[in-house]
Amino acid sequence: MASNKVYWKSFDQLANTEVSQRLAENEFAQDIPADVFLADERSMEAQTSRRDFLKFLGFSTAAATLAACEQPIIESVPYVVKPDSLTPGVPSFYATAYTDGQDYASVLVKTREGRPIKIEPGDAGRFNRGTNARAQASVLSLYDSARLRGPVLNGKESDWSTVEASLKKAADAALAQGTQFVLLTSSVFSPALQSAIERLRQAYANFQHVELDAVSQSNNLDVWESLIGVRALPYVDLTAANLVVSFGSDFLGGGMAQQLSSDYATRRKPGSGMLRHVELESNLSLTGSNADKRVKIKPSEVSGALSYLVNELGGSASKVALRDDLTKALKSLAGELKASNGKAVVLVGGDDANQAKLSAALNALVGAFGTTLRTDKPVYIRRGNDARVANLIGDLKAKRVGALLVAGTNPVYFRPDFAEAIKSATFSWALTDRMDETAQLCKAAAPEPHYLEAWGDFRPVAGEYTVAQPTIKNLFNSKSLLEVLGSLSGDSRSAKDQVAASAASMGLNWNQTLHDGGAAVASGSVAGASAGAAASLASSAKVAKPSQGMELAFYENAVGAGYQANNPWLHELPDPVTRLTWDNYLTMAASDALALGFENETNSDGSLDGSYATVKVGKRVLENVPVFIQPGQAAGTVGLAYGYGRTAAGKVADAMGVNAYALGVTTGSASVEISKAEDMHEFATVQLGNTMMGRRIVNEVSLADFIADPSGSSWNEKPTFHTIDGMMTSDEANLWADHDHETMHMWNMSIDLNSCTGCGACVVACHIENNVPVVGKQEIRNLRDMHWLRIDRYYSSDMSKERAEDENIGGIEMYAKMEEPSESPSVVFQPVMCQHCNHAPCETVCPVGATVHSREGLNHMAYNRCIGTRYCANNCPYKVRRFNWFNYMANEQFADVNPAQDDYGRMVLNPDVTVRSRGVMEKCTMCIQRVQYAKLEAKKVGQPVADGAFTTACAEACDSGAITFGDVNNTKSAVRAAKADARAYHLLEEVGTQPSVFYMTKVRNA
Amino acid sequence: MPDLVLLYFCEALKSHRLPHSMRMRFSPIASLIRRSFLTILSISLLSISASGEVSAEAGKKLFKANCASCHKLDKKLVGPALGDVTQRRSEEWLLKWIRNNAEFRASGDKDAIAIFEEYGGSVMQAFPALTDDDIKSILAYTIEGDKKAAPAPAADAVAAPAEGGDTSSPWLVYLLGGFLLINLYLLLRVRNTLKQLNGEDPTNLVEDLGVFSRILVANKRFMTFLTVVLALGFLYALYSFLMGVAVEQNYQPAQPIAFSHKIHAGENGVDCNYCHSSARHSKHSGIPSANVCMNCHMYIDGSEIVDAAGNAKYGGERSPEIAKIYAAIGWDPEARTYIEGYEQKPIQWIRIHNLPDLAYFNHAQHVSAGQIECQTCHGPVQEMEEVYQFSELTMGWCINCHRETEIKGDNGYYAGSIDGSASISDRLVERFHDEKITAANIGGLECGKCHY
Repeated sequence: MASNKVYWKSFDQLANTEVSQRLAENEFAQDIPADVFLADERSMEAQTSRRDFLKFLGFSTAAATLAACEQPIIESVPYVVKPDSLTPGVPSFYATAYTDGQDYASVLVKTREGRPIKIEPGDAGRFNRGTNARAQASVLSLYDSARLRGPVLNGKESDWSTVEASLKKAADAALAQGTQFVLLTSSVFSPALQSAIERLRQAYANFQHVELDAVSQSNNLDVWESLIGVRALPYVDLTAANLVVSFGSDFLGGGMAQQLSSDYATRRKPGSGMLRHVELESNLSLTGSNADKRVKIKPSEVSGALSYLVNELGGSASKVALRDDLTKALKSLAGELKASNGKAVVLVGGDDANQAKLSAALNALVGAFGTTLRTDKPVYIRRGNDARVANLIGDLKAKRVGALLVAGTNPVYFRPDFAEAIKSATFSWALTDRMDETAQLCKAAAPEPHYLEAWGDFRPVAGEYTVAQPTIKNLFNSKSLLEVLGSLSGDSRSAKDQVAASAASMGLNWNQTLHDGGAAVASGSVAGASAGAAASLASSAKVAKPSQGMELAFYENAVGAGYQANNPWLHELPDPVTRLTWDNYLTMAASDALALGFENETNSDGSLDGSYATVKVGKRVLENVPVFIQPGQAAGTVGLAYGYGRTAAGKVADAMGVNAYALGVTTGSASVEISKAEDMHEFATVQLGNTMMGRRIVNEVSLADFIADPSGSSWNEKPTFHTIDGMMTSDEANLWADHDHETMHMWNMSIDLNSCTGCGACVVACHIENNVPVVGKQEIRNLRDMHWLRIDRYYSSDMSKERAEDENIGGIEMYAKMEEPSESPSVVFQPVMCQHCNHAPCETVCPVGATVHSREGLNHMAYNRCIGTRYCANNCPYKVRRFNWFNYMANEQFADVNPAQDDYGRMVLNPDVTVRSRGVMEKCTMCIQRVQYAKLEAKKVGQPVADGAFTTACAEACDSGAITFGDVNNTKSAVRAAKADARAYHLLEEVGTQPSVFYMTKVRNA
Repeated sequence: MPDLVLLYFCEALKSHRLPHSMRMRFSPIASLIRRSFLTILSISLLSISASGEVSAEAGKKLFKANCASCHKLDKKLVGPALGDVTQRRSEEWLLKWIRNNAEFRASGDKDAIAIFEEYGGSVMQAFPALTDDDIKSILAYTIEGDKKAAPAPAADAVAAPAEGGDTSSPWLVYLLGGFLLINLYLLLRVRNTLKQLNGEDPTNLVEDLGVFSRILVANKRFMTFLTVVLALGFLYALYSFLMGVAVEQNYQPAQPIAFSHKIHAGENGVDCNYCHSSARHSKHSGIPSANVCMNCHMYIDGSEIVDAAGNAKYGGERSPEIAKIYAAIGWDPEARTYIEGYEQKPIQWIRIHNLPDLAYFNHAQHVSAGQIECQTCHGPVQEMEEVYQFSELTMGWCINCHRETEIKGDNGYYAGSIDGSASISDRLVERFHDEKITAANIGGLECGKCHY
């Protein structure tokens, strides 16, 4: 049976307010602001008459026309000596590794004329090969004009030799005086850097290296270190799993996200043996949204739940009383775990020592060790140690630190105690990309290169070695940590030589390794943990009693830990679940909001406001945290995202949101006191922007129904219409002449709703590839976002027509009930871009023929023909057309957010795509620049275009392979096979638009 | 009276024609003289070299053929200057060295080894084919050097009458017009004579025109017609003006270096793609970087360029234009090395062909895939001293070409089949049958193909 769940997009739609009705009817929530200036008395009574105005208009038009006759003189300056490897106009790709202090990924960098302009996934088979939203956006962080330009000493501009000498002097003085010389970094998993640190340790007896992860994994690492023997986390192999149980781990958004998203999608292909995903969490996370079964649980109940499962599976842990409904859910979960036969894995979020012990024990009891949890293949990307950080803070306060070198991390922002402590350092020196919160408190600061400017190497996981290479010369006067440490320890080798030596020590061919971006190496002597030892940890774990009070669980959205907080693309990307942009906020259950008096209200213009709260954890207080009422949030819990509330990151990030780190919690959750504060916060949401109500938008089927009816006739029916000739599908009852799509190519795109996790990497990739303007918070609040590709998120409710019939419920009541929130809604994500209809409603209404059809199945948009009537957007059933209300690349209003307005930021623009101006409509082109390029490349070599020879930016960015693009006229193409699949359907098939984009029915393993 | 007019007209015609025909005639004659001079010169040279005797003339030819790429008489190139080599070395030594210097060095001659090391170990090739006389001729030439060629006889300005031929059509029109005017004048004279015979007052032309115009002004139909014609004319002029806005056909800016495509692509036949190499691979044809210029101009500095008369164009000095390349890239022509640490100065050419950003044009598509000659759009560049924009570069111009140009259907992209089913070529033939398959037929007129 097809699922008849009715999805709704927000509480407003659910309540069917006047506003949401209006929005459903109108494309633009706000009218053109004509009435605003017409109502302005001053302008109406002005001396300039309408005739004068027309005269001025006529004159200026004529003047502009005449001025346009004179063409400017354009210089064309070739290289003096052109590099051999470069042809102007042809992109070059370099394999490298991306790190920003938090993430790691193996990537390919696209450069044009020496400028990196796009990040693509690295070679297949490599660990964390792929690009999440942050990796995609990281190319803009390179061109961030807020970056530090040169060394600073005592607040004055300085030079490298002086600042390096000052550090050396301080380190030497510390050695002489018997105080410490401390290097504080984020996790270091670079062999070259590790040996540079080792050489420094040899040179300075008082040397200490402290690693700090912004979002800590320290307690987890302690537990696994005791089991594996090295400070690392075990590798999670989802390809070997049939069941994944996650306790708020948000594994699709964490450090291994690219790897896990890809493996998850591979194992979520519908059919028998499809991976089942059970999520127990308090916040409705991206990962939880994808779960087959989601159980709401408070953070304080997690250790109790884990101990229950440990005991059920034959281990022994102390027991606590749990809610009955939770116990019931856990009992069935324990049954599933037992039946999994070792093909299951339990993942626990946060960083609680006891939960870590219990989860290790539980995995051991499940039989995950060696199969789904590879302790013999440790992952090194997190190495932080909070105990050592605490010691450092103590030492600093006790003035036991003579020289502190902070490199590539921002402890003052991440740890609230650090601001006071760092002032007590005799000498502090920051190697940083910007004058951030930490650098401002240091005596000296020096610029660190962006990862696209620097040499580096990594051992992210046992058995793999990767090399990072610069793809552009340092934009600013920066030096990498490798070079700084080298000069301290008297090692004069360049960073490249240090990395090359490191590669040579592993017996690798340097050129080959550099070309490939890495190589497989011996994994070292990691024996793997003993399951018995892990299982016995359970008895030593303290199991917390469930708390009755309010609890706060922290999470990360696209901004992540906050390293790239000054990157506008990450803020413009709506949160996949809340659909809010440019903010962080307290997510709260509707019942709690009602009890505590918090409100969300929608204004008449469609914008959303929310009450402010004061959040208190222990003695630390966060003022003015906006509250967002989130369906699926566990009652008695609130959520808050890290990465916001920066004070010294740059014009984009500063004073946006609140700093969740300021609450001083490193374990991921805490008891919290919430009280209401004055005033309402203005949110910028895209959720009410475009509604597609009450129709079969996301087609969904349960796995059992899918297997029972592989033809799809019961769960993927084509809509039919009564006609004079009987029932007909929209294709048959067709008014229009068909285009010739057989002769040349016919580009189609398949979007697998089963694979899409909603992460948003495609949205950022689309922004970058197509020069989509960033419009900023206010314009998004005005519902004028410019995303060519959006990911709609729908919540479900359980009322259905069948149920209404069974329970004898009338039509009006049924529809009202359909809109009622269920306790815990299931969630679906649906990427929607221009559907490239072959009978496109937009094409028929354009008065100037600016949007026309191509014989390759694409809907073209000629910007310079467009006169901005917006008829097309009005007539588009999918609401995917975007109007340029402003000249975003030049209007001062957008100077703070739009990268195209910055001399550095402009360098990221794709030179093959027009930068659109005010007054024109734009939309997804299916990356026509890539289509044209691929066809030309094929002609140059005299070969037909091979399937998979190229793909669109969104498809390329997708870690889970949800998007397939290709030529359906090629009978052997993947997209043609997908189109023939029983799961394929068109969005709003009944309107007969015959889109070139189609979707694959979502199958839930419920 | 009519005779006078005719005479005047002929005079005017002559005065117009003369400079033109002189211009027309001058260059063929000059080139004829130059050609015959060169022929005589080369014949005499040939006869000398064939004679097998030692002569500086024969030596010059041999020098140019065998030595000039590495040696000059007056300055160092790859090898030493040879102007006074006979004073520095004995003839016997030179004979050995030139015939096979490697063997000579191997024999242990100290001078030979020293000179080899002085020039950084660059190996001089062996010339086993040269006879002793040949080598002696070369040495004779190094002593004598380039004698300044005798000035070419000045071309006779008062040239022989034109050999008909070039009767261009405008002149014919002027002539006919002239005869008509004369006829009109004669008719008026005839009328006045008749009037006088009738006893009426003769009228002159001005009076006649006045009467005629009064009649026309009074005629409403004529005035309506005139208004319509004038309005249409104005609209046409306005339309033409507006359509010409931003059309920069014939745009010919002065460039920072007086680079002549005529010399490079025309006279020396350098392939367009040699310098504009990225045209085959990229959307940009690419202005060559200075290091590409240096491939040739490391050896050619302009001092060897002679004009038709055999006079050194720059008086035997380095060309100031080529010196600009050296200044850009940091080449020291005296030391014949690139200057270490030189701050290179990119050459700021003025871009001639400017498509607006909204139009995507790809050279590789047209050059590699479409196999279109550069001249199709850029005109006879090989004849241009200074390049100008030959084509309109308007959208209508693009579209016309796309409508008319057939695709290269034998390219594997069209002709190959990836899945065993019909290739694009087959499908196109099936759809368009015997029609020409033009760029337009494969979607070359669709907006999104060039505007994205």
